[in-house]
Amino acid sequence: MSASVPQKSAVPLLAIEDLVIEFDTNKGRRRVVDGISFHVHEGEVLGILGESGSGKTVSTLAALGLVGGTPGVVGGSVRLRDGDTVHQLLEGLDKVVRKREGRPARKNMRRWRRLVHTRMRPLWGRTMTAVFQNPRHSLDPLMTVGAQVEESVKLAEPDLSKDARRARAIEWLDRVQMNGPERVHGSFAHELSGGMCQRAMIAVALARKPQLLVADEPTTGLDTTVRAEIVGLFKDLLADRSRSMLYISHDIREVLHLSDRVIIMRHGKIVEEATADELRDGVGEREPYTASLLAAAELGH
Amino acid sequence: MGANRVAFWASGFIVAVVCLLGVAAPFIDYDPASAVDYDQQLVKPSMAHIFGTDGQGRDVAIRVLKGIEAFFLPGLLASFIAVLLGALLGAVAGYSQGPLRAGVIGLLRLLDTLPRLVFIILVVTIFDPSITLIAVVAAVLFIPPIATVIRRKVEALGSEDYILAHIAHGFRPSRILLYHILWLQCRPILIRQATFVFAYVLFVETGLSYLDGYGVQEPTPSWGNMVAQTRKLPSDVFWPWIVPAIAIVVTIAGILSFGNLLARRDEEANR
Repeated sequence: MSASVPQKSAVPLLAIEDLVIEFDTNKGRRRVVDGISFHVHEGEVLGILGESGSGKTVSTLAALGLVGGTPGVVGGSVRLRDGDTVHQLLEGLDKVVRKREGRPARKNMRRWRRLVHTRMRPLWGRTMTAVFQNPRHSLDPLMTVGAQVEESVKLAEPDLSKDARRARAIEWLDRVQMNGPERVHGSFAHELSGGMCQRAMIAVALARKPQLLVADEPTTGLDTTVRAEIVGLFKDLLADRSRSMLYISHDIREVLHLSDRVIIMRHGKIVEEATADELRDGVGEREPYTASLLAAAELGH
Repeated sequence: MGANRVAFWASGFIVAVVCLLGVAAPFIDYDPASAVDYDQQLVKPSMAHIFGTDGQGRDVAIRVLKGIEAFFLPGLLASFIAVLLGALLGAVAGYSQGPLRAGVIGLLRLLDTLPRLVFIILVVTIFDPSITLIAVVAAVLFIPPIATVIRRKVEALGSEDYILAHIAHGFRPSRILLYHILWLQCRPILIRQATFVFAYVLFVETGLSYLDGYGVQEPTPSWGNMVAQTRKLPSDVFWPWIVPAIAIVVTIAGILSFGNLLARRDEEANR
């Protein structure tokens, strides 16, 4: 990890355009993401703010190709830059989605899954990976934390010897500010606290050395003090700007603390986009929803 | 925990003895035809014949020992086939979608409709009665229950957060399926099923040998055909069959409880 700020490219790392996601419910087809567009540049932290059900999590899962449920993504484009190559992650979507006049579109789920998995396999982990909410369930219950970090290390640095891999795993556990990384290396998820599990999860994700880390409400369900620690940890880990992050949260303070730019989502649409500084300082006119969020957090006007 | 410990080591001891004798038995030189000795018929247990002799003057002890051969390798073969194919087919059915999944599930359902013992007797009647054939058929008949448990497990784990996280980190699907799901999660299930299939082969061998002409054929010894001799013996002569009969019960009980306790230990070690 070089300390120098990497050369920024004009082409964004991740660019999402007109993304549409729908799910079948027992009340019929529901559109949960309605044509949103956003992008993340190299070294940038983009915060996505929104209440539960605003579609923020599912739109980032769409970028990762991990949307569960039927039919899921039905329209839009996702471009991911990997060095000089730009991958079109939703290419071929129009071939599996059949639009029908007056009725919901049909999608060949099996073909789509196969397409996504084939395309994403070389990209998962290396170009982007995720830290999910609910850290306890995100770790393999039957593997030690160390073994899981080592799996990531093995994929990111395949040439390391067994001992070197172990040393690197402990180094990562230390880097996520884990107390007693040596001891944690041999522990199982159920032996750790929620905050420690989330640190371990971050270590597993970062050991994979992704260009883009998606953090999906990583502090949900943690104590207030632990939340502050995890947010502080992210701040430290991102200080050298060697990687980008998509930080999803419903907590405006967290988002403003970490992000360079913020988009605010509601009911599947982007309500507003602004830099974190603008929001914090109350520059310019705000949408009523944003204003209410800021007021609730006693920020801005 | 204390009683479980005793049961674990006791059943483990039984399994170890059966395995040891099963490996050693083929090296014992024994010709059942030349062992017949009409001067020594139905001799009571003594120093010369510790379990006595049977109706044809053959030493019961060595026949009990050689009788292990009748089920030991076939049992191992059956366990191996059933667990390997059951786990793989279950994993395929749980992981894949569409025609492949439907095809595998349909095939398993079809196999599962066959009544096991009746089907084995049918196969033995059509083809030559061979314990290896019986074992292979038993193994195939046990694939559906194993595959179904594994398929459900794979399906349930597929939507777990940590499996999603593994995918997002770029772990290979084969690694996730074979190591994280089959090895780490399904190992206790597979241990139980393997010992169950092994015990079933012994059970079937005994049962079929007891029905004259289906199982292992005289003069080759098997525990089943030794017990079957009871019918031809005077009612006060018990030594030719009591030892194999006890051996059958103890071995089946030992193997089943060892498999169960080993699987439970495996589960407890990780939870």
